[in-house]
This record gives sequence, structure tokens and C-alpha cells, in this order.
Amino acid sequence: MNWRAQPWLGTLVEITIADALGDAELVSCFNDAFSVVADVHRLMSFHDPASDVSRINCAAIGEWVEIDAHTCEVIRSALSMAGATGGIFDVTCAPKLVEWGYLPMPAGDLPEHVPGRSALILQDGYRMKKTGAAWIDLGGIAKGYAVDLAVAALQRSGVRSACVNAGGDLRAFGNIAYPVAIRHPVYPNAAALRTQLREEALATSGTYFSRKRIDDRECSALINGADSQPITAGFSASVRAPTCMLADALTRVVMASADARHPVLEQFGAAAFIM
Amino acid sequence: MHLTALAVATAASSLAFATQYLTVEQAQHVMFPDATAFKDANLQLSTDQMRQIEKLSGLPARSVSWRVFAAYRGDLALGHVVLDDVIGKFELISYAVAINPDASVKQIEILAYRESHGFEIKSPAWRRQFAGKTAQAGLAIGEGIANISGATLSCAHVTDGVRRIAAIAQTVLKQ
Repeated sequence: MNWRAQPWLGTLVEITIADALGDAELVSCFNDAFSVVADVHRLMSFHDPASDVSRINCAAIGEWVEIDAHTCEVIRSALSMAGATGGIFDVTCAPKLVEWGYLPMPAGDLPEHVPGRSALILQDGYRMKKTGAAWIDLGGIAKGYAVDLAVAALQRSGVRSACVNAGGDLRAFGNIAYPVAIRHPVYPNAAALRTQLREEALATSGTYFSRKRIDDRECSALINGADSQPITAGFSASVRAPTCMLADALTRVVMASADARHPVLEQFGAAAFIM
Repeated sequence: MHLTALAVATAASSLAFATQYLTVEQAQHVMFPDATAFKDANLQLSTDQMRQIEKLSGLPARSVSWRVFAAYRGDLALGHVVLDDVIGKFELISYAVAINPDASVKQIEILAYRESHGFEIKSPAWRRQFAGKTAQAGLAIGEGIANISGATLSCAHVTDGVRRIAAIAQTVLKQ
């Protein structure tokens, strides 16, 4: 087993390659995989004023913004997920995250998050516009997408089995079962559960690192887009899915609904458990 | 897919998470694959340099001494590798930053990640067992390491650390 880790997407991204490869070949496989993760970081960072996300956030209502094919793909998936989940998964919750101090204040006036409103229009040719004042944050889906891209890069490099983990959102491929420890939601530096991952993605969400009180109100970095309220449940939700982007996004639905058998899971070939 | 079958409930394990990804020597070669030699180039910052670093990074300079290696191919200077450790809520992260001759950041590699229970991370004794000996720390690579799935743990302290090192490079290492 060969391990490498780099800081990207605001967390640590860890790649495990099982193949027995020479040093130079390993370095090249790792570099290819980290390089696509870096692309996602560069395009979808809320913090970086030059990212696609920041350019969308700064754009005027109705102004067409040219975006990268990857950003387009993530936003397309996010919109489809918003439709499928009755608005629980909603990338336009960013103003709430800014208000509660989880994201830095971008330029411009704080827009209001309107539950259920679709404020984004995507057009062929990788262009999009906003139909109302909105800020987006792809934090709940971009890490999963980056993992999927890294997996594809490793497969293109000829790696037969590897596991990619972006801050707790993982995907493994090949004929090896990778041991995975799931954090205890009450004692997060201990494992509550040990399992294995093979040809599948697994993402876990919880509020144990982000929960805080602001003016006597409990907040977290997870928001239920259907009512704009912070999710403050003490449990954690883990989702297994065919892709990490799906697993990542679907954890939000399980956290918000407290339903590990939420019907949307089956629709995406996913399954969940709550701890 | 029967999750419940896999979800063999166990009592909260008392083992903390720890992974060593690269030794210092491995990191040097990963970040400067063309280098033929790495020479000690440890830094002792002056008060003026620390002030300049704080101004550039917007962060406390934190330390006078820094572990640095200069990478060479023959006589040609390729850049530097700067080592650092940062401490989070309950994790200690050792990492290396490769710096180009123009002082820009070339690459960042995590060397080791160790978590512990909250009371240990604040303990100088616990930290001391790792300080300055990333390469020799008694973490066996490949033994019993599991990926961790959980809520995302921010690595803002690594990001800040890299910003500080970038400022050190601008101030002291620029060629």
C-alpha cells in the first residue's frame, strides 16, 4: 500500500494506491490524481475570488458567466439533486453560511436565501446566469466530485486498485476491500464503527465539528435548504453510493430528514445508515 | 448491499487515528525528483525578518527556528523544502512545503497526521514525542491504517501554516 496526502478543498485529501509500482510511476500516478483535485479546488473554492464560484457569486442578476465544464457538471448535478430532494439539498444556502461565520464575506450585499426557489440557469456551452440575487457554495458536493475525478485519473493511469478520501468522503475501486473507520458522532476522535469499502463510495456527514451557538441559537455548517434552518442533530449520517458526488450530496438529505431509508436514496442506487 | 450486515457495532475504540504518509527523505525526493542532493539550510530568523513575515502573512511568525533543506542538482539550486507541524483541536499534522527559487510554493505534502484525545494534544509531553523527528516517529507505514470517514475536519491551520512559510520564503529564501 502506498499513501500520500495533500491539503485541498479546505481539508486533507488522502490517496491510497494498492498496486505495487516503481517509485517514479507511483509519483506520476499520485501527481495526476492530486492535479485534478487541485483543479476542482481552483474552480470551486468559495474563498478564492478568481474561482468560477466566486465569479458566479459576484455576477449581476441576468449576467451570463462562462464556467468550466467541471463546474457546469457539478452545478447540473446539484440542481438535479435539489429537484429530487424537494430542495433539501440546495447550493444557494451560502448566505446563511456567511451569516453564521462558516464562510468569508464576499463582495456585495448579502442575498436572502429563498427556500425552494431556483435562482440558477445553466445553458449549453458552459454558461450560466442567476435569475435572482444568490450566492452559491458547492461545499456539499464538490469534494465528492473531486474524489470521483481523482478515481478516474488513477484509472486512466492504469492503477488497478486505489482509495481516495477527501476529508471523510471516500471512493475505492479495484479488487481490494479498504478498511474504513467511521468517526463516533459524540467522541469524533474515536471510531464508532469499522467497515470496508470496495468498488463503491462512502460519505459521512455530521455536525460535531461545526456546531456552535450564535445568540442563543444553535448553528452548524449543514443547512436544510427546504426551510433554511441549520441541521443540529447529534447523529451522523453515512451514505454508500456508486459515486462519491452522490454519496456526499445525499448525506445532507439523511441528516435533514433523520431518515436512513429516505426514498431518494434508492433512486440514486444509494443506501444509508445513521449513528 | 446490506449495510446493517457490515455495520458491526463496536464500542468506541480508544485508539486514536495516525498515519505516516512520507518520511522527510521521501518527501524531498517526491517534491524535487531531479535533485541529487539535499543540504541542511536551517533558518534562524532575526527580529526584523519575523516582523516582515508577520506583515506579509498577516499571521504571527510563531517560531525563530525553521527546519529547511536546500535541493540541488549538481551545483544548480532547485529550491527548498521547509518542514512544519501544526496543531488543531485534537490533531497534529506534520507537513513539508517545497519552495521554488523565486519563492513561490511548488508543492505541499502531508508527512504525518496524528489524532489524539483532547487532553493529550495540549500536553507538551505528547507533542514532544513527535517534535522534529517526523521521519523516525514510530509509526509503521502500512500497518493497520484505515481511512477515516466523518464530518469534514477543516485544515485551516495547515493553510495558515503554508501562508506563513510562503512569507518566510519571500523574506529569506528568494534567490
